[in-house]
Amino acid sequence: MNKENIISSGLLELYALELSSPEETVEVEKALQHYPEIKQELEAIEMSLESYALAHSVEPSPFLKDNILSHISQPEQENIRHLSPVGSGSEKTRIYRIPSFLKFAAAAVFILLIGSIILNFSYYNKYQNTNNELQVAQEKIRQNDQANLAMSNQLNVVSDRNARPVVLNGTPHAPDAIAKIYWMKNTGEVYVDPTNLPAVPEGKQYQLWAIVDGKPVDGGMITTEKGIYHIQKMKSFGSAQAFAITLENAGGSATPTMDQLFVISKI
Amino acid sequence: MQEVKKYNEVELIFLLKNRDQTAFAYLYDNYSAALLGVIYKMLENRELSEDVLQEAFIKIWNNFSNYDSEKGRLFTWMLNITRNLTIDTIRSKGYKKQSKIQNSENTVNNISDNAHTAESFDALGIRKHLSLLKNEQRNIIDLAYFGGLTQEEISKSLAIPLGTVKTRMRAAIIELRKVLTN
Repeated sequence: MNKENIISSGLLELYALELSSPEETVEVEKALQHYPEIKQELEAIEMSLESYALAHSVEPSPFLKDNILSHISQPEQENIRHLSPVGSGSEKTRIYRIPSFLKFAAAAVFILLIGSIILNFSYYNKYQNTNNELQVAQEKIRQNDQANLAMSNQLNVVSDRNARPVVLNGTPHAPDAIAKIYWMKNTGEVYVDPTNLPAVPEGKQYQLWAIVDGKPVDGGMITTEKGIYHIQKMKSFGSAQAFAITLENAGGSATPTMDQLFVISKI
Repeated sequence: MQEVKKYNEVELIFLLKNRDQTAFAYLYDNYSAALLGVIYKMLENRELSEDVLQEAFIKIWNNFSNYDSEKGRLFTWMLNITRNLTIDTIRSKGYKKQSKIQNSENTVNNISDNAHTAESFDALGIRKHLSLLKNEQRNIIDLAYFGGLTQEEISKSLAIPLGTVKTRMRAAIIELRKVLTN
């Protein structure tokens, strides 16, 4: 179709009204590129149709403009809505993708945690050892305190101004043996210092006797602590003519075994 | 009175291609009434027509990069988008239901709609000219413009051969151009 035919055929009118077939549309669009006259004719047709529409104008409600303008002024939202499958997909990967610096941070934290656990374990062991050592040391101090207390008690006995020292000398049966008694004049308490008595055989024990009105009265058993003799308190006596120590079976006897008399004193 | 900025078509197209919202507002101010008139002629339902108009303008904005001035004027492109959306609406199930309800209220609607019809100087003047058109000429333009009909459907509707639709259309539009330039 030449340009005159295109113009006179009425094809441009149908094209302007979008009533032309696909083939006709292609033909018109090709012609529009080549012939300015055809373009001019089309524009005249379009302008007449535009006027035709204008003649039938209906003014829209005033709010409609704002609706539309506010709708188009949110381009991001619009884009997201239009590209929702793509958008939501990339968003998901964005959520689950961990930045590499976070990975390094996580690794560093993990290493620090392991290090901390090891240090904690080591410090806990040290703490346990130290605690054990402390308890041993405290026990030693307690024992020393006890020993000190015992020693000061002994010293108190010896240095008490009311203490009346009585020396018990060895008998011919035990010439080297010697014992001392501190007899409190005010209270009648009797302390014995058996330090220089010979060691006792198994199953035997020294027993103190006081001679009251010519008769031997039990003064108590002399005990050892870890095999060592210390000054110790015996039974009290208001009056006594003499003190003696015999070796008896462990636990003591009701009457002294005279052939086992080790030391004796004269008051 | 505030001075209203005017754009020529080349400026307007350039600005819209660059997504200028002020130019879009200008486009709306100048063409919304003409487009709504066409929609309303097709749907005869005011509320629904405004829905379609809104949809059309949003589509025009979103698809503006598709507009090619080599293939036709801006208004023609906008008109065809609008007419296609309107035809889609007519073919939708919801429209058929609504149009039945609407028909019973037609009398009331027509009265209130007249109040909204643009009585601008231009529209009035053009309508005066259009009254000079023969009924036969008006008829074929209306069928093409507002009927949403194809060439075949127009030929059937007017009981004329398919080949005659073109020539009849050309004659009608030549007459339209004549009365408009008088």
